[in-house]
Amino acid sequence: MAAPASYPASAEPTAGFAFILKKAVISALVALVLFFLMIGIRTEAGSSGQLIYWTRFGELASIVGAVFVGSIVIELLRRWIGPVGGVELPASVRGGFAVLGRLLAPALLIFALLVPVIFYNQRYLLDLAILVMTYVMLGWGLNIVVGLAGLLDLGYVAFYAVGAYSYALLAQSGLPFPHFIDTYPYVALDFLQLGQWAFWVLLPVSGLLAALWGVILGFPVLRLRGDYLAIVTLAFGEIIRLVILNWQDLTGGPNGISGIPRPTVFGIPLTPGENGFAAMIGVPFSPTHRLVFLFYLILALALITNWVTIRLRRLPIGRAWEAMREDEVACRALGINITTTKLSAFAIGAMFGGFAGAFFATRQGFISPESFSFQESALVLAIVVLGGMGSQLGVALAAIAMIGGFELFRGLDQFRMLVFGGVMVLLMIWRPRGLIGHRAPTVFLQKRTEISASLVKEGHG
Amino acid sequence: MSAAATSLLAIRGLRAAYGKIEALKGVDLDIKPGEIVALIGANGAGKSTLMMSIFGRPRARAGHILFDGRDITALPAHEVARLRIAQSPEGRRIFPRMTVAENLQMGADATPGSDAERAASLARVLKLFPRLDERMTQRGGTLSGGEQQMLAIGRALMSRPRLLLLDEPSLGLAPLITKQIFAAIRTLNREDRLTVLIVEQNANHALRLAHRGYVMVNGLITMSGPGLELLQRPEIRAAYLEGGRHG
Repeated sequence: MAAPASYPASAEPTAGFAFILKKAVISALVALVLFFLMIGIRTEAGSSGQLIYWTRFGELASIVGAVFVGSIVIELLRRWIGPVGGVELPASVRGGFAVLGRLLAPALLIFALLVPVIFYNQRYLLDLAILVMTYVMLGWGLNIVVGLAGLLDLGYVAFYAVGAYSYALLAQSGLPFPHFIDTYPYVALDFLQLGQWAFWVLLPVSGLLAALWGVILGFPVLRLRGDYLAIVTLAFGEIIRLVILNWQDLTGGPNGISGIPRPTVFGIPLTPGENGFAAMIGVPFSPTHRLVFLFYLILALALITNWVTIRLRRLPIGRAWEAMREDEVACRALGINITTTKLSAFAIGAMFGGFAGAFFATRQGFISPESFSFQESALVLAIVVLGGMGSQLGVALAAIAMIGGFELFRGLDQFRMLVFGGVMVLLMIWRPRGLIGHRAPTVFLQKRTEISASLVKEGHG
Repeated sequence: MSAAATSLLAIRGLRAAYGKIEALKGVDLDIKPGEIVALIGANGAGKSTLMMSIFGRPRARAGHILFDGRDITALPAHEVARLRIAQSPEGRRIFPRMTVAENLQMGADATPGSDAERAASLARVLKLFPRLDERMTQRGGTLSGGEQQMLAIGRALMSRPRLLLLDEPSLGLAPLITKQIFAAIRTLNREDRLTVLIVEQNANHALRLAHRGYVMVNGLITMSGPGLELLQRPEIRAAYLEGGRHG
């Protein structure tokens, strides 16, 4: 590429024009190479299975032309707008933004609490809200691993799957190993006896099993960082999915598991019968009750995730996660045990993924491996990155924007992904550190000054 | 081994290597309690390797490292640190996105100690480096190089160390700042009886500060003696002072 030094301030317009033209030609050439086979030649299987192909050089030419013109337009726009980031807002406006920022989180929380009231009659929106909250929770869970501990995990969906399948299998048939129960009767807790309490007992069990798998993944990757870690976690996610897909006896393979028990209001089922929740509180039964309950359930689970994360950040373990993200070598020199720090991040992140998975299973009543593809991992990771790694509010906003945006653009059909990709690229140019790139400090200084002052007075040190 | 008995840190016949390249070829070194010891030598002589091998990276291939009479050669890094051997590593390695207060807190997190002791260490660090007190809520990455070095030393001091290892504290710093940092080390040694091992290319400064010095060449200790005495030797002047001033 041309020398970047000459680019931003290039004084003479003629040299600038040559540069723009050169850049456009290079872009067009790259496009030509890229699209020659992808668009220039179309292949298809013929009626008897033979390969038939035809050329589409017209389309190819128009695309290359579009890249050429587009490159010029973008370059001209850049010069016209000038260097980015030099705009200084007046103090009053910045103050206003700061107030808005402080009010945003409480406002969102109040809105979330009121969602079932406002949208009580709009089943579609309630469903969407539950979906969004599920991703908020997954985002917050992954944020512990990626945002705080800095461990790039591309297989987070594995823990979501472990949680969902743990709940589904245990709730349906108790321990999945009859042989095991026969051999060790004292460990055999018959989950079928749980009845209406199944979800509430199995929710923590699913979380713990997911945490266990988090540790199991953690051990082999202890020495890996960055790209290498990402590849192994990606593989781990695929392994879990493929095992679920192929272990037909246990998981039902591609057919999935259906008839998963629905959640109860602490033992009271949400059914129309005599013992149902509606009859209990004396209102006519409505299927919406279950949706409202599911919404508050996932909201509570997500808020627990958030609360735990905020608490942990202020404890040595949370600080160690963040310090590990910044510099592993320095951490070791300060006496931080990197092994336990990493494993705890994986385990706690996975545990929340497992909770979300159990919720997903009980909400759907049916799960299959299709729900746990790599796309889910990528989506949750995108939420974390877009939100601003480590920012709780940012992750919530990103989840709302991503999942809500997905629904908003449903009308665009096949162009949805295109719009979506474009918006993401623009967002990352505009805010490379994510929606909320600011990191809240965790050590506060109220006590410090008085202590140091008193010591200085006494003449210590 | 009589010297080892009175030493806070005793290194005996230490060998360490990166793959096939041997960086330490049998090093002996002693640090007595309350001493400042300087380790000087050219780039690539193995000074930093020696310091890092105390923390087990690279692990010693032969020889022993004794701290207070206890063999720590095979201990993992974090356990070495918990024996109150603190390190201000080469390149400072502060946590750039965390605040100064958090950086300092990290120094105290992993080693046992009461809240009062931590508050006392913090007060000590802030008295030693008042600049840090002004910057407590600032992110570590926004500090100047000198302030970052102060933070790295302060962070190491938060664990109330018995032995402080400093790797090139003057690297890339203005002479005035270097002076301040060396003065702070001297204060720590005089007032708190802190034992210090300082690795430096800046031989002049380091040998003036230190009680004793070691000179390292190609993975071996070639000379040792009182700091000022080493400074007078013509071969040292030739190798590390007149010719090595640019470092």
